[in-house]
Amino acid sequence: MDRFAQVCDEVAQTGSRRKKVRLLSEYLRGLSDEDLPRVVRFLCARPLARTEAELSIGHSRLRDALMEILPWEPEIVRLCFREVGDAGEAIGLLLEGFTRREPMTLASAELLYQRLYYSRRAAGKVSLLTSIFLQHRPRTLQYFIKVITGDLRIGLKEKIVEEAVAAAAGAAHDTVRKASNRSGDLPAVALAARRGRLHAVEASLFHAMDFMLAKPVDQVREILDPAIWLVEDKYDGIRAQIHASGDKVMIFTRSLDEASSSYPEIAAAVQALPHSVVLDGEVLAWRGGSPLPFFALQRRLSRKRLTAEILEQVPVIFMAYDILYLDGDLLLDTPLEQRRALLEQTLAGHGAPLLVSPQQRADNLETRFTEARERGNEGLVLKRPGSAYESGRRSGAWVKIKRPYATLDVVITAAERGHGKRATLLSDYTFAIRDGARLVNIGKAYSGLTDSEIRELTRLLPSLAQEESGRVLLVRPAIVLEVAFDAIQRSKRHASGYALRFPRIVRWRRDKTPDQADSLARVRQLHEGRAGVRQSRAFLNEPGI
Amino acid sequence: MRIEYSPRGIFLSEIGLWLDAQEPQEACWISHAHSDHARSPHGTVFATPATLSLYRTRLGLDEAGFRPLDYHECAEFHGARLTACPASHILGAAQLLVEHRGERLVYTGDIKLRPPLCGCATETVACDHLIIESTFGLPIFHFLETEQARRRIAGFARECLDEQTTPVFLGSTLGRGQEMVHALSEAGIPVSVHGAIVHYLPLYEAAGYPVQWEPYDAESTKGTAVVVTPGLRDQLEASARNLRFAYVSGWAALANARLGARAEHLIPYSDHGDFQELISMVQSSGARRVDVVHGYAEAFARILRQTGCDARAAGVRAPEDE
Ligand SMILES: [Zn+2]
Repeated sequence: MDRFAQVCDEVAQTGSRRKKVRLLSEYLRGLSDEDLPRVVRFLCARPLARTEAELSIGHSRLRDALMEILPWEPEIVRLCFREVGDAGEAIGLLLEGFTRREPMTLASAELLYQRLYYSRRAAGKVSLLTSIFLQHRPRTLQYFIKVITGDLRIGLKEKIVEEAVAAAAGAAHDTVRKASNRSGDLPAVALAARRGRLHAVEASLFHAMDFMLAKPVDQVREILDPAIWLVEDKYDGIRAQIHASGDKVMIFTRSLDEASSSYPEIAAAVQALPHSVVLDGEVLAWRGGSPLPFFALQRRLSRKRLTAEILEQVPVIFMAYDILYLDGDLLLDTPLEQRRALLEQTLAGHGAPLLVSPQQRADNLETRFTEARERGNEGLVLKRPGSAYESGRRSGAWVKIKRPYATLDVVITAAERGHGKRATLLSDYTFAIRDGARLVNIGKAYSGLTDSEIRELTRLLPSLAQEESGRVLLVRPAIVLEVAFDAIQRSKRHASGYALRFPRIVRWRRDKTPDQADSLARVRQLHEGRAGVRQSRAFLNEPGI
Repeated sequence: MRIEYSPRGIFLSEIGLWLDAQEPQEACWISHAHSDHARSPHGTVFATPATLSLYRTRLGLDEAGFRPLDYHECAEFHGARLTACPASHILGAAQLLVEHRGERLVYTGDIKLRPPLCGCATETVACDHLIIESTFGLPIFHFLETEQARRRIAGFARECLDEQTTPVFLGSTLGRGQEMVHALSEAGIPVSVHGAIVHYLPLYEAAGYPVQWEPYDAESTKGTAVVVTPGLRDQLEASARNLRFAYVSGWAALANARLGARAEHLIPYSDHGDFQELISMVQSSGARRVDVVHGYAEAFARILRQTGCDARAAGVRAPEDE
């Protein structure tokens, strides 16, 4: 462990990734078969081999143990922790001069972690920590604790450790990455790599694998060979990977956080499957056979507690589109069509909340795209027949078509009360663009503002009222909104002679006045496809695929 | 002895002498030439000859009123005896021993116990009353031995040069800047120097610390180490590539300095003492009464009180960077 600490210090002292990899791989190469997986585990800041095992040692226990040794007042020690900013480092620095500086082997470090784990009572942990602190070298203790607190803080990402594992064994980084990805067990992979047995590393459930990603394309016409692809809708939800076996279900999202408690109805449905599976797909807010807009899902996720009311207001489904594991078989290298057949068999006979994303041969992509939009989805995903599931890659075997959103700055000219829950709020807005000194209406939008913004506008708009006719309040132009849409069409419905397809409010432009709104001339240009498209950042929520 | 602490400095009212006054005063002792100590002209200035010449270079003063006190030299002033004692900090730094009516007061100024790369070594002076600094007065600060620091500075420079990258050392205008230039020159590593560090190099050279250096030139940094003040960093980064930054400072004892100083390599070497040095200096002075100024004054005074020492924090001025 002393050498481990020294190598960690050296890794911290260089900013070069290449050098970090070299330092680590040289160290790994010299380790025994027993120590190699141990060190890789410690480098990933995991004290114990069992991933779910927690040592339950927080700052206060560490400080309690430290206070048994140090002569200073607790406030001084607290100040020191604050100045250092990392518990392990602070402990190492504070113990300088107070320990017997005896060596610690990697095996004994592991044994100590186990003893800390098995000593269940807090007092037991503290007194064990105290005796560890007294015995070993401060720098070693620094890293011994960092492994427990979960971050070595030496500028090391798991990818760098992977690279070092590969370099140490003379294996290809990509092979190591794949093996680690399917097993979630880099320490075991390190040993397998050394023995040339990477192909034998098996998949393990309940460890999130990296998602396969789709290459973005703006226009259908950019697809060169449209006839070969398999086509699905691109959903505007939350990408998720579901692991299930027996009674256990875990739902991982793109950040690889476990989120099953947020989607109890999906978890329950998956739990009922008579299979061990890993599914890839998208969580969508869903009602009456079609998706609700993304902000409905956001509203549900923003709740701290899921009440019966919100479960009922925003039901969710899982739209499955791939299967990565089934009853002991890892399917990453199984061709797309076979995976698809297994997916359909596995979920056959299920309805919401477990759906299978419809897939078709591509015929007319333009038509498919428009249909997908009409179903309330973002666009299309094209999948190459015969392709493998390339975990963590954006290789081009999947392509997504999602037109960039053009936006317009428009002025509110009228407001209406909404329906249902929004009956008391002025939530539906008619908006206009400039035509010389005049304003001409171009559309109406209901969605996109936050509840608090809608409440604010409900208070504000009556003070701008010029006229009230029935439900409609005509207002003096003052409020500018940024509106996104998919297309501009000619229309007799509005005075501008144009209408927006799928208009939605991106944000309230408090920084703009009505004379800064977009003009009819720009709308004309957009319609004729001459204007450059402005992309709105506000629409880039968590990417699905 | 009556001592008055204020943001204007430390005042020994019975003998009318200021210590490191922040504003012009009739008579003042200047412990060393750092700008937070040697701030303004005074009627009479006591200081070591080296400090006086650095001070003069900086403020462009004439020598009228200068009362040079070499190490171990004494002067009588308003019934007190003033003695300059060596302090390890920057070139010319000194402690002041004031003997008045049988009482011995020592003001350390900025100080460490380990010898500096350039300058004299601290001699601890027995006293009744000690005024000591505590820039790094917490037990988390442990610095390198001087020789280790010298090796680490040269080692990082060599390693970068071997890899065809440019090592950059961020150093203070006066003190560590010149020390690093000296250490690198002694190790036979070519050095380019940028910014105000250059002004004081001749004085260091005259004091017996040889330096070999070139003015920094963006076109020709290849194959040389660069020593600059932190303020010139952005300019440097805009003009050169493959730079690797080392941070040589007391703050480099903490890993978070890597982010704070935006440097990949940390070398904990300072011209201030680390915690153990400060404790040793207090203990070997034998002082019964200790006033702590600068930095972690409150915390350090509390730690000293725990050891049975009559210690208190004396508010002088807001702590600033080394
Ligand atoms: Zn100083």
